[in-house]
Amino acid sequence: MTKIWELYRDKHWVEPFLIFSICFFVGVSIVLYLFIIGSRNKNIKREKLRKEHDQQIAELIFLVVFEDTPFAEIKKRQEYMMLFGSLLFRKVLIESVINLHKNYDGVYAKKLEHFYKESGLINDSFKMLKSMKWEVKCKGITELAEMNITDSFEKILTFSKARNKTLKITAINACIKLAGTEGITHLKAHPYPIDDWTQLNIIAAFKKHDIGDTKGVEHLLESHNTTVVTLGLKLIKELKLTQKVPYVAQLAERTPNALIQYEAQNVLQELTV
Amino acid sequence: MIWFIDVYLYLILGYAILIMSSYLILAYLSMKELRSYLKKNSFVDYEVLLTSEFAPKLSLIAPAYNEGFTIEENVKSLLSLNYNNYQVIVVNDGSKDNSMEILIKTYDLVLTELDIHSKIETKKVKGIYTSRNAAFKKLIVVDKENGGKADALNVGLNIAQNPYVVCIDVDCILDKDSLLKLAKPFLESHGKRVIATGGVVRIANQCIIKNGRLVEVNIPDAIIPRIQVLEYLRAFLLGRMAWGRLDGLLLISGAFGAFDREIAILAGGYNIKTVGEDMELVVRMRRYMLENKLPYTVSYIPDPLCWTEAPEDFKIFKKQRSRWMRGTIETLSFHKKMFLNPKYKLLGMISVPYWTLFEFLAPGIEFTGLIITILFIIFGLLNWHFFILLVLFVYTFAVFFSVIALLSEERTFHKYPKQTDFFKLLLAAFIEPVYFHPLAVYAALIGYKEKIKGTHGWGEMTRKGFTKKE
Repeated sequence: MTKIWELYRDKHWVEPFLIFSICFFVGVSIVLYLFIIGSRNKNIKREKLRKEHDQQIAELIFLVVFEDTPFAEIKKRQEYMMLFGSLLFRKVLIESVINLHKNYDGVYAKKLEHFYKESGLINDSFKMLKSMKWEVKCKGITELAEMNITDSFEKILTFSKARNKTLKITAINACIKLAGTEGITHLKAHPYPIDDWTQLNIIAAFKKHDIGDTKGVEHLLESHNTTVVTLGLKLIKELKLTQKVPYVAQLAERTPNALIQYEAQNVLQELTV
Repeated sequence: MIWFIDVYLYLILGYAILIMSSYLILAYLSMKELRSYLKKNSFVDYEVLLTSEFAPKLSLIAPAYNEGFTIEENVKSLLSLNYNNYQVIVVNDGSKDNSMEILIKTYDLVLTELDIHSKIETKKVKGIYTSRNAAFKKLIVVDKENGGKADALNVGLNIAQNPYVVCIDVDCILDKDSLLKLAKPFLESHGKRVIATGGVVRIANQCIIKNGRLVEVNIPDAIIPRIQVLEYLRAFLLGRMAWGRLDGLLLISGAFGAFDREIAILAGGYNIKTVGEDMELVVRMRRYMLENKLPYTVSYIPDPLCWTEAPEDFKIFKKQRSRWMRGTIETLSFHKKMFLNPKYKLLGMISVPYWTLFEFLAPGIEFTGLIITILFIIFGLLNWHFFILLVLFVYTFAVFFSVIALLSEERTFHKYPKQTDFFKLLLAAFIEPVYFHPLAVYAALIGYKEKIKGTHGWGEMTRKGFTKKE
C-alpha cells in the first residue's frame, strides 16, 4: 500500500498503471474468451447427454405408462439404478414427466403421478422448497402443483404471501390448481397492492384449471385492499359468475371509493344484460 | 511547454479512465439486471396476456415513406403478431411511389369516416382507410401529406384508439411475441405509471426471413454491419439495461418502443423540429412527469424482439450516424435546462450529463486529441513511450469490453450459436477500434458540421432488403 502511495506522490504511477491495465485487459479478455469456449463446449456436451437421456426416459416412461411395469421392478435394472444417481438424468426425467402430465388426462396422468411419488422425484421437488433461492422454490412449486400433490398446499400457501413477485404469482397459481378458491381467499387480508400482472395471472389460473367451485371469491370484495377488490371484480366478470351479482351490487352500494364503485357497476352491467 | 504536454496527456488519460469506469459500472449493473430478468422471465406465462380481455390495448403505429417494395409483406407480418387487443395504423407519409395503391389493392381498403380529435397539430391527412375484409379489421391506413417521420407518428398518436401506442419502423422484423413482452411492464408497476417501454433492436443483415419472420440468425460478412452487430450488443446488453435499472433511460429506439398515449400527447407528441424524435420524446415525457411531480417509470425489455437492417456501406452509415449526432445535439439543446439540475433527479444529475459528456462531446474530444497529437509529432514534442502505452490502454480496453458483450450474449440469449459466427464477432472486436470507430467519429463530426450549418431532414436512407427464404 505504501509503495503504491509513494508511486502516486512521485507522479510515476502513470506508466505502471497503464502497463498493469493493459496486462489486466489482455489477461481477463483471454480468460473470458476461454470461459466462453469452455461454456459452449460444456453446453454442447450437456445437450448431447440430454438427448441420450431423452431416449432412455422415453423407454422408461413407456414401461411405466403403457406397460404398467411397477417402479420396484424398474429400480432393479442395472442401467436405471445408475441413471437415477445422476442429477442431470433426474432433472430431464422430471421435466419429461411434467410435460407429459400436462398433455395427459385420466388414468395415464394418474400413473405418472404415482411414478413421480414412487421414484422419489417428489422428494427432489420438496427439497427445492427449502432452497434459499426463490427461482428454485418456484420450480419446486410448479412441479408439485402440476403433479397435484395436495399435501404441499399448506407449505406453498406460505409462499403466496412472499414479497418476491414471481414467487408469489407461482405460489398463488399453484394454490389455485391444488385447492381452487381456497388458494386465494387469504388475499382478503393481503397488506400490499396486487398489480395488474399478478391479477391477470390469478384470473388465468382459474380459467386454465377450470375451477368450477368459486365459493369464496365474493370474500375478496370485502377486503380493505382496493387492488384485492378489483381482482375480485375482474374474476367475477371474466368467469361470468352471475351468482355473485348480489355481492357486487352490495359493493357498488356501500363502497366509498368512486373507482371501485364504477368498476362494480361495470361488472353489474356486463353480467345482468 | 513540457508541463502543458503533461497536462494534456493527463487530461486524455483522465477522460479515458472516466469513460471506461462508467462503461464497466454500467456493464456490471446490466449483467446483474439481465440475470434477474431472465430468471424471472423463465416463470412468466405470456399466454396470460393472449387470453385476457384485461391485456393492455395497443395501437401499432408504422410510418411508411416510399416502402412500396416491401410494404405488403411488412404489414402482413404486423397483422399476424401474437396479441389480441391491438390495431395497426400504417401512416403513408406522402410516399412518391405506389405504396398507397399496393395497400388499397392488397388489403381491400376503402375510405372511411373516423371520428378523430386531433390533439397534436400535423400536416393534412388526405384520407383514412379501413378494410372491407374482416380478416384485416385491425388495420387502419392513413394517407397524409409528407411531413417527416415525427409528423407521421403524431398522426398515428391522434388516430390511435387505444391507451398505449407502439411506434415501429415498418421495415423492421418483429418477433411474434414482441407485443406480449412489450405490454407486460404496463401491468406491473403499482403506484408508478409506466410511461414507456423500450425493446432491444438487433441487426438482421444476412439473417434469413420467411413470411415476415426471422427464421435464421447469421452474422453479416460485410465488415461495417458485422461490427454494428457487436456495437448493438454492447449498447443494448451492457448499456441500456443498466440505465433501465437506474430508471435513467433517455432513449427508446424509434424502431421499436411503446408509449402511454395520454402522456405522449400531454407532453406534446413527437417533435418535428428534430431528427432525433425518438430520444426527444422520451426526454420530454420524463420531463413532463417530473415537472408535474407525477410518479412514473420507463421500462426496458432485453429480449431481442426487433430486427433491423444496418447500413452496409460507408456512405449510408455516415448519413445515419451524422443524423444520430444531430438528434443528440438537438435533444440535449432543447432540454439543456435539465443539465445538472437536481430538480430532474437522476435524469438531470446523471443521465443528461452522461450523454453530454460521453455521447455528444466524445467525438469532438477525440478529434481534438488527434489534432493535438499530430501537432506534437510535427514539433517533436510527443513522448512516444507514453503515447504508445496510452493507445494500447484504450485499444485493449475496447477489445476487452467487446469480449464482455460477447460473454453476456453467450450467457443470456445465445442468438449466435454457430462457432464461425462467434469467431466473426471476435475478429470484429479486434478490427473495430482501428477501422470502424474512426469512421463513426468522422460521421459524428459530420453531424456537428450539419448542425452548425443548420441542415434539417433525414436524407435518403437506401436499404438493401433482407435475405428471404423461399
